[in-house]
Amino acid sequence: MKLLNLLAGAAIALPLAFYPAYAQSTDPLKTLVVAVPSDAVGLEPGANKAEPVGSEVILNVFDTLVAWTAPDFTQLEGRLAESWTVSPEGTEIDFKLREGVKFHDGTDFDAEAVKFSLERTKSINTYVEATFGLISDIAVVSPTEVKITLSEPYPAFLSILAQPQAAIVSPAAVAEYGDAGFATHPVGTGPFKFNSYQADTNIVLDANPDYFRGAPKLERIIYRVIPDASTRRLELENAGVDVVQQQGQLSAIAAEDVAALQSNSDVTILEAPSQIIRQLEFNNNNPDSPVADIKVRQAITHAIDYDGLLQGVFGGTAERVYGPLTSNSWAYNPKMEELAPAYDPELAKSLLAEAGVDPASLELTLYSFQGPLWGAVATFVQANLADIGINATIAQTEFPALRALQTAGQFDVALDGRQPWYNDPDAHITIGYLSSLADTAMTFRMPEDAALDAEILEAQQTVDQDARKQLYFDIQEKIAAKVPGAYLFSPKLIVFTRANVKGLVINSAPPLNEYWGVYKE
Amino acid sequence: MASFLLRRLLALIPVLILVLVIVFSLVRLIPGDPAVTLLGPGATDQQIAALRAQMRLDEPFYLQFINYVIGLFHGDMGISLKSGAPVLSEIMVRLPATLELALSATLVAILVGIPIGVLSATRPNSLFDHFTRVFSLVGVSMPAFLLALILQLIFATYLGWLPVSGRLSPYIIMQPITGFVIIDGILTGQWDVVWSAIRYLVLPTAVLAAFLAATLGRFVRNTMLEVMSEDFIRTARAKGLSRSQVIIQHGLRNSLLPAITVIGLKFAEMLGGAILTETIFAWPGIGRFMFEAIKNRDYPVIQGTTLVFSLLFMLTSVLVDLLYGVIDPRVRKRMK
Repeated sequence: MKLLNLLAGAAIALPLAFYPAYAQSTDPLKTLVVAVPSDAVGLEPGANKAEPVGSEVILNVFDTLVAWTAPDFTQLEGRLAESWTVSPEGTEIDFKLREGVKFHDGTDFDAEAVKFSLERTKSINTYVEATFGLISDIAVVSPTEVKITLSEPYPAFLSILAQPQAAIVSPAAVAEYGDAGFATHPVGTGPFKFNSYQADTNIVLDANPDYFRGAPKLERIIYRVIPDASTRRLELENAGVDVVQQQGQLSAIAAEDVAALQSNSDVTILEAPSQIIRQLEFNNNNPDSPVADIKVRQAITHAIDYDGLLQGVFGGTAERVYGPLTSNSWAYNPKMEELAPAYDPELAKSLLAEAGVDPASLELTLYSFQGPLWGAVATFVQANLADIGINATIAQTEFPALRALQTAGQFDVALDGRQPWYNDPDAHITIGYLSSLADTAMTFRMPEDAALDAEILEAQQTVDQDARKQLYFDIQEKIAAKVPGAYLFSPKLIVFTRANVKGLVINSAPPLNEYWGVYKE
Repeated sequence: MASFLLRRLLALIPVLILVLVIVFSLVRLIPGDPAVTLLGPGATDQQIAALRAQMRLDEPFYLQFINYVIGLFHGDMGISLKSGAPVLSEIMVRLPATLELALSATLVAILVGIPIGVLSATRPNSLFDHFTRVFSLVGVSMPAFLLALILQLIFATYLGWLPVSGRLSPYIIMQPITGFVIIDGILTGQWDVVWSAIRYLVLPTAVLAAFLAATLGRFVRNTMLEVMSEDFIRTARAKGLSRSQVIIQHGLRNSLLPAITVIGLKFAEMLGGAILTETIFAWPGIGRFMFEAIKNRDYPVIQGTTLVFSLLFMLTSVLVDLLYGVIDPRVRKRMK
């Protein structure tokens, strides 16, 4: 009897004792559930190192000074900045800031906050050393005007300012929580406020009703961490999640899922072109390599059935790339399409004969990343090469080992690619093709060419957009003439949503979603 | 009994030290370091070097080891290179989820496996016995991820009775108190949370329990058949004990010893090894955490989780030995 009384008392008392930690449920029609493949790393600009999940959260919790305008992402628009001017030499950018904007903690957004944020990110985020390192001074001209001075002209800097790492943080919140604590209490000006984070489980954001562009239509966003791709798909089909992005472009094949979900009337498929380029690259600065002869390289580029690859492996979920830039880049040279090699195995064989090379003598190891997508592409390329008599062995390698091989030049042919993290031709061209940077990253390892290097650096620093464009046109043609690789495909950004989700904006570089305008019917 | 326990616990220490040395060295021999894996394919050497310096990966090996051991004495397992949070707190946040899953899977496996084993042993070569042999074979051979997908398709997609993945309904946001969702729900008196947690627990438990239940069924059946043919069983029947008394008090009790070893080992294994189940069901457990840490080369997390896992494994083994003493008087005498 006593025990029963005790239990009854506990049943009443305990809930009261723990009451503050109760659960909060929300209206499903105002809640968006997004499936992500992994836990976020770095939920604030100072800690973020271009990891996709954390970057997307930052994009929705914070604002940047400028951002790319949907749906084409070729023009910049002001977010926290109302307008800006760039000095003729390109080293000074003057921003007029928006007035009346408040951070989620109620403090005012002003020029001091901009200076604080950018200088803080510059000092604690090692990832942005190269770009933020160009900032030589940030001057607060007035509470609504800030001037950024660069040590050298760098027109792509505005694209850098549109990145998640350049988002503006609340100085008051940083002072309250400290640099380390701010990552678990991020405070910005964005359409959504940070609510909670449960490791490996979820991240919850609540709507910011005072957002300067207007309150979001949603009340809450819940990011659910679901590591397995087939589980994400099942959840989408069962309405357990509302949005699934085909993140992890390196490992997933969207084609099968697209085909399966196309017939599902509860699911909408959104496609957007990306600026990702995937290629078969040659080791371009090893004179002893079997691919050192340009005729051999040309032969290989003609041996690949580009359309077959796009249809057969990707089923329309990827687009053709004709050169060092994707066709949706403002600096894309339309001539690249005619200059691009056509699928012509006979021409390939005759080129090999001209070079005096017997294809059977070429022992090529085709290196690539792991995962089913790369496996499928590698198998396709291997078959194309076999058609012209070249026996290639596929070696799918774990990423760190692959990087070590590639940067040391211990390969002849490899499947590789680049996903630019900011929207500027500089992101593809400079790091990919500057011969002086050949060994410092996974690049095309271009042979030394002072003239081309000088032109690439000039294009990087030219302020006038049209002059820049002309330089990039010329650079693309010069690069193509050297045949550094066979440009294979650019995967489309594919997002699957429940049919009742509307208003989603998919950025292309970096490929992140903005949820401010989203609503459910 | 007390000195036995003390001896076993002291024996843990050299084993843990050995485990630490092995893991510490092995993990640094894998090609690629955390800076490379964290920054991805687009990073330059400069970015990687800067992050490496920030992570203090350049320090000589012995210095890293000494600093780590000193930290351990202070209860500090280092800081995760990926998230920047203390490793111990990261582990403690995820351990309850795995414990919840492992405990429920073990319980279900015992409740299903042992009765099936007993029933098969008492009806050897009957239809029921043949059925359980097939069931055991399937349960042991079926890969966890295949079973998981099949169950998800049947119970979640086609029948709609159970959710696909996760630990709790996504619309319930709750601050953890103990970390055990069911207990937290009871403590705060929210029965909808408790009910939701149970529904989400069903499928992952079924997947994990399948293998153990199948193994146990087979094991108990075989052991019991051997035991039931012993002389003392005939004596017990001759004495006039009822059939069920003979089976349970004499037959089962003597067959339990090997079964307990299996249960103990598998339970400990589930604590660190339920990686596939945790991944497919998006269960935020420690197995998945350790696996991802290995992929990310997150040294402090790998070291920390291995140490914790080894400790739990060894403690479970000590517990099993103690249980032996409880069940088998012969062992109890030897322990003294």
